[in-house]
Amino acid sequence: MGNIILKTTDLTKKYNNKAVVDNLNIEIRKGEIFGLLGPNGAGKSTTMNMICSIVRPTAGEIELLGKNPWKQKKEVIHKIGYIPQELAIHGNLKAWENVELFTSLYGIKGQELKKAVGDSLEYVGLLERKQEFAKNFSGGMKRRLNIACALGHNPELLIFDEPTVGIDPQSRNFILDKIKESNAKGATVIYTSHYMEEVEAICTRIAIMDNGKIIACGTSQELKKLVNSGHENITLEEVFLTLTGKKLRDYAE
Amino acid sequence: MIRYLIKNNFKLMFRNTWSIAVMLLGPILVIAVLSSAFSELMKSYEGVDTFPVGYRIQEADDAVIEATKMAGEEAGILFYEYPQGEIKDVMEKNELSGFVEFSEDKYTVYTSADYEVEGITLKYFMNKVMNEGVDASLQIKEQAKIALPVEQLEFMPAIDSVDYYGIVYIVYFCWCGMICATGVLSNEKKYGIVRRFRVSNISESQNFLGKFIPIVLTVAGGMAIATVITVLLYDIHWGKPLLSTVIVFLMIAAGAALGMMLYNISDSLVITIILQFTIVWFLGFFGGSFETYMFSSMPDFLKQLSPIYHGNRALVELSCMGESSYVASTVIYSLAVTVICSIVAIFAGYVRKRGKA
Repeated sequence: MGNIILKTTDLTKKYNNKAVVDNLNIEIRKGEIFGLLGPNGAGKSTTMNMICSIVRPTAGEIELLGKNPWKQKKEVIHKIGYIPQELAIHGNLKAWENVELFTSLYGIKGQELKKAVGDSLEYVGLLERKQEFAKNFSGGMKRRLNIACALGHNPELLIFDEPTVGIDPQSRNFILDKIKESNAKGATVIYTSHYMEEVEAICTRIAIMDNGKIIACGTSQELKKLVNSGHENITLEEVFLTLTGKKLRDYAE
Repeated sequence: MIRYLIKNNFKLMFRNTWSIAVMLLGPILVIAVLSSAFSELMKSYEGVDTFPVGYRIQEADDAVIEATKMAGEEAGILFYEYPQGEIKDVMEKNELSGFVEFSEDKYTVYTSADYEVEGITLKYFMNKVMNEGVDASLQIKEQAKIALPVEQLEFMPAIDSVDYYGIVYIVYFCWCGMICATGVLSNEKKYGIVRRFRVSNISESQNFLGKFIPIVLTVAGGMAIATVITVLLYDIHWGKPLLSTVIVFLMIAAGAALGMMLYNISDSLVITIILQFTIVWFLGFFGGSFETYMFSSMPDFLKQLSPIYHGNRALVELSCMGESSYVASTVIYSLAVTVICSIVAIFAGYVRKRGKA
């Protein structure tokens, strides 16, 4: 149990009596890069939001680092680094000001804050550009700054919600390398994405979610074995489409 | 942590050139337009020293008439009795600025288009004497010489339109300070920054203060610059600058707290701006922002309900008289609005953050 960093038990979220997340049970072990895949509206972001105490669950339990993030928020929230899907940065602040603002929210101040800001910007390759306004950055640079803003307080659990949307292959490659580097340094990572190759490349374990439930969970090899496609070189995308279907999902999550 | 939040939100608000431009140029332009538009009216009013008014008694208490005449003398309104003749002919023949006909339970004020300002002054005077001077007029029956409690400001000394609108529009824009926070709040919502705040150790009161203090500082800075520019451009007299600054600052705080409360309750910037501007427009409507409160025909209790009326009156009186009995009520009113709105804003933010299961 000591090895489990996140555990959800029958986690449920309903909107207007419709379950968006339905009795979800997952366990994430320390040191994992856990990939969460699912079509639009599967409940991935709602699950992330409940874990991060942004959205209150309708039922069920969350145990994060041995604590309930809704009841013991102050004791556990500073151990989470949340990288939202949106570019949650202020365009009218300089790069270092953005990192300073969001890092200071965890009670870090003075010289420690200054060092954390420098380290975070260096980590994402933006230290040289720290005096520039975020609004003048390219899409890839904004994505990297978005990540830097969640790293300053040195969290144990990093939650990435589609961090590589709309950026060039170089920036994507850089971000994936940094995620692996953070993991190598001891951080546990939860990663959601629509890019199968990304998930396959970095995740140690993958869960496929649909209609608010986990429909399959395991390593990419284990998932591939689940689907009997008749050929050996089946891709993760084929597994995903086989499990979730090819019907278009046009509703928003 | 709140230090960094205040610092960076302040930077964000000050870098929002659009809102700063509105807060700076708004008062400068409005003061120029209104003070010019009303200058003739207020100048002619300023030029009125004393003017003659006729009266006729149908059925009325002599003590009331005597008291009215005495109060009129102090206010520069000289009453002469004309018991007979057509009122219009009497006014024209004797070049009277107005005429009052007293009956047992009512009075009628006649005014002339040739003496518009005197007519407004006479109506206001009669309203004050008859509505507020009743108790005192009863005392006159027993004591021969007691002046009615007619307020002096409306009659002397007069304030010109530049000073009046120069002061009241700084007050008006103080209450619209939420406009400075629009950039920060829309960004926070649009780009999911609110969620970053929720995944942090920041409390709702810290979050509130982290925005409230920068709004107050930004508006205060903007208003200070606008005030200096308008003083240099239009030669506006502020009476007691230090006391006036304190009053303006307190009203900025009240306006910011009101805006934050509306935002935390509605969770919508559009609704907040519409509501705040509507509320401030009505408070200004009753408080003398458009029609000067001296000539306003609004019921007194409505004026008293408006914190803008108290603020305007305190600052205008400080400007033309050097003192005002409305300073205390302005301070109390502003502090009360600030404290109550802040508490409601924090509570509303807490409820929203807690979320629904």
